[in-house]
Amino acid sequence: MPVMEKSSEVQRKTSGSRRGSWKKHLVHLFLLPALLFYVWFQVYPIFSAFLNSFFSWDGLRRSSFIGLENFVRLFTESPYKEFFFRGLGHNVIFFIGIVLSKLVVAFILALFINSKIRGKEFFKMVIFMPKLLSVIVVGFLFSLILNPTYGALNTFLKFIGLEEWARPWLGSPDTALYTVILVNSWYGLGFAVLIFLAGLQAIPAEIYDAAKIDGASGLTMLWRMTVPLAMPSIMVMTILSFIGAFETFELIFAMQGSQAGPYYSTDVLATYFYRLAFGTVAGGESIGLGSALAVVLFLMISSATAILLFFFRRKEYEQ
Amino acid sequence: MRRVGIWLIAVALLSVLAACSGSPSSAPGGSTAGTAQTPSAEPAKGETVELVMYSWRPEDKEAYAKFIAAFEQLHPNIKVSFKPFKSTEYNTILSNSLTAGSGVDIVQLRPYSGTTSIADAGYLLPLDDVKGVQDIPKAYLDAARGSDQKVYGVPLSINSAVIFYNPKLFADNGLQPPRTWDELLQVCKALQAKGIVPIAQAGKAAYLLSITHSVIGTSAYGGNEYVEKLLSGEATLTDAFFKESIRRMQELAPFFPPDFIAIDDKDAQVLFSTGKAAMYINGSYRLETFEKQNPDLPIDILPGLAKEQGGDTPIINWVDGAYGIAKATKHPDEAKAFMEFLASREFGQMFSDDLSRLSAITGVTPKHPLVQKVAQLSDKSMVPFLMLVHFGEGTPTTKTTFEDSLQGMYIGKLTVDKVAEDTQASAGKWFKPKK
Repeated sequence: MPVMEKSSEVQRKTSGSRRGSWKKHLVHLFLLPALLFYVWFQVYPIFSAFLNSFFSWDGLRRSSFIGLENFVRLFTESPYKEFFFRGLGHNVIFFIGIVLSKLVVAFILALFINSKIRGKEFFKMVIFMPKLLSVIVVGFLFSLILNPTYGALNTFLKFIGLEEWARPWLGSPDTALYTVILVNSWYGLGFAVLIFLAGLQAIPAEIYDAAKIDGASGLTMLWRMTVPLAMPSIMVMTILSFIGAFETFELIFAMQGSQAGPYYSTDVLATYFYRLAFGTVAGGESIGLGSALAVVLFLMISSATAILLFFFRRKEYEQ
Repeated sequence: MRRVGIWLIAVALLSVLAACSGSPSSAPGGSTAGTAQTPSAEPAKGETVELVMYSWRPEDKEAYAKFIAAFEQLHPNIKVSFKPFKSTEYNTILSNSLTAGSGVDIVQLRPYSGTTSIADAGYLLPLDDVKGVQDIPKAYLDAARGSDQKVYGVPLSINSAVIFYNPKLFADNGLQPPRTWDELLQVCKALQAKGIVPIAQAGKAAYLLSITHSVIGTSAYGGNEYVEKLLSGEATLTDAFFKESIRRMQELAPFFPPDFIAIDDKDAQVLFSTGKAAMYINGSYRLETFEKQNPDLPIDILPGLAKEQGGDTPIINWVDGAYGIAKATKHPDEAKAFMEFLASREFGQMFSDDLSRLSAITGVTPKHPLVQKVAQLSDKSMVPFLMLVHFGEGTPTTKTTFEDSLQGMYIGKLTVDKVAEDTQASAGKWFKPKK
């Protein structure tokens, strides 16, 4: 009898858990549309780029399988290799520029807003406002502002007596890339401030009180407490900025065109990819090369992101 | 849970594989071409057929509404839907549509290698048998051929690279329109001394530089004679004559607006149309733009420069686009009827009159006096736009390499010699001289 009771209890439990697991399975079914979208718009393009990069192209037609030849040409043949390494160099400058001009400034602004000042919400709103515009609109607006003939910036500089500072900001290879970086930073500043602010607000006030009692100076508290404790948000923003810097396209396209002028001084890997893959009417042989570049870009961004994640996580554990 | 996950991944992978099997490799000339002429695709009698037509000229929408209405009156069972796209995005949109094999029946084709590559890929129907096509001059049809020498497009218009000038500004300053390179330099110096921008040149879009080069450089490299030598392999793009044409571009830079490499064509247009600049170099198609911007603007046209005093002033021409039929169309007969209309003198005349352009169709007399002037100059002495007509291939194209190198020269990155060497290096990769 006790044996029978036990077995019926097991049965009850099993059927109960089966019902439970069915419900769980039903939940998964609801994920199906989103998964299909994800596969169709994310996985499939990546997969097809991989596939296309192993073929030679005859106009719009995929012709024969050529293995890694497209990749070899990309890195060893002129002018592809020059374009690739110049674009890569600009991407690196873009990333460093964004870290310096956006992340550092955003962190200082976040510290400022997080302190006991009046009108916090107003500052937050003003800083975040550019993000409400589309990148293309921002690009267009700044093209007008920076126009050497009638642009507001040069007109203003001339008006306040700084005529020697007026220059063709987007027309000189010395300033074009940095100008685009600064516009990019202005555009993304609000988002970075919000993320940093969230990180700073998560730090308990008590530990600052304790540090003050121990006689820690403001700078010591900032360096020894605030920065390490805000590390998760710094990590998120650095990784997002890295990804952003390496896939940047729209702003350069809007401000400098697909040729990323003048004379490719603002050319990055994404603008080079656009020209390579879609620059000619029929795509030519370049669809294979363009796909190879897309694959390289994908591998570069994903592996560097993984390394950054690993590095930051280790740093977090150490602390 | 794990099993469901595996099923979901399997479904996803199957859909990916299904999509891959329909990849471009199988599309051209294959399944899509097969569907193009299946009897089931033919419309039933009396049924209205709609043809979708792509163009890169949104600014011509109004004019096309009129042209299409005229066609629809002749063919009440055919409706044509004109879909223009932004010029700079057109290539990508067209490539995608042709690859997908659906959605477009009539396509506007970029001239020369632009058409050849699409035709060779098997995305177009040949049009040699369409009524009126063979009446179009052979040189114009050459802009719309495949490598098999069949015609795949009805050439639309002839563009000329010209110097627009403001005759009032010239007269007010006691200047005569220049005919030679030396005269151009003298006029530029005189205008600059009066505080007038001599030439409203923009350099942000590098293609504008090669248009200017074609106008002022042709007489330096020796026009058609050099072109023939270049095509036969007797001359190269690093020859002294060609370098001289690049040097002219460098010498002209002081007469362009300050920081011209940072300004758009639109800014240059404004300088000219507001009378701040005396000359503006671009395609003859800008005539309509200026007349819309400022109908009171005194405007006249100069062709390229003569080699010496009293010599011929050649005009630099090229065919600007053609209309072809996508092979995947479900209505090839109706599309051919539309091609016949495009090849007719009636359409050519309407096109020329309404858009102030030079039609490629034989027998069309332009109404606009300046377009008439361009037509007369073309009849007298014509040189093809070297880079567009003959050097539009390669990755990047030799034309693009040349334009970008000119831009590089203006920002001090390249010398005249290096511009020529880079251009020749690009051509050397694909260009095969005609034996």
